[in-house]
Amino acid sequence: MRGIPTVLITVSPEVSAQMRPPRALYPKGFKIGNSLGRPLMRELQRAVLRDALRLLTENTRPGEVVTIEYPDYGEQYDPPKVKQ
Amino acid sequence: MSTLSRKCVPFTPFDRTLDKTTIAIVTAGGVHLKDQEPFNISDELGDLTYREIPPDVDSSQLMVTHHHYDHTDADQDINVVFPLDVLRDLSEEGFIGGVAKKHIGYMGYTMQLKAMYEGTAPEIANQIDRGSRADAVVLTGG
Repeated sequence: MRGIPTVLITVSPEVSAQMRPPRALYPKGFKIGNSLGRPLMRELQRAVLRDALRLLTENTRPGEVVTIEYPDYGEQYDPPKVKQ
Repeated sequence: MSTLSRKCVPFTPFDRTLDKTTIAIVTAGGVHLKDQEPFNISDELGDLTYREIPPDVDSSQLMVTHHHYDHTDADQDINVVFPLDVLRDLSEEGFIGGVAKKHIGYMGYTMQLKAMYEGTAPEIANQIDRGSRADAVVLTGG
């Protein structure tokens, strides 16, 4: 198998970074269960998915989680921390 | 099977343009069709199975079985963890080339990490590689 390019959308960036994903987007402040945003906010969901897909074409650093802010999301949440 | 170093990033280059790319979604968010067998949340070790989701399904026919995150919002709009309608939007507007023929849902909680890593994950990769005609994959969690 030659492999398939992937991009991860994560709301637990510290936890996901431990797995060293080849490409990953953290929509800043989104809570668990809201990877693409809030329910029925389709334009926000489209924006998140477009940004994630663009990471396929950009010169990202493998293993790095890219953080992007989406003010339309509203109230922000702290992501889970990795237990030391 | 070959194994990767924990420090290795399994990076597959992307050599296409998005408007000519077919995308599949693989979610750990416990998503499945309402008429598929739910994931087994009574087993403390987790559930190593996965469900195939067709590209043309009405998203109202999808649901979540997962007891390790609050999926109240996904119950209202599955797109918050499994953006199939969103992907179809991006295909219609020409941002991507198309929606893959197969998508995958599994329950991303397990105490059987070795079996997940060596069994379920390669099986899902094979499903995508052989059956979905996807050029790239979007991964989501809960």
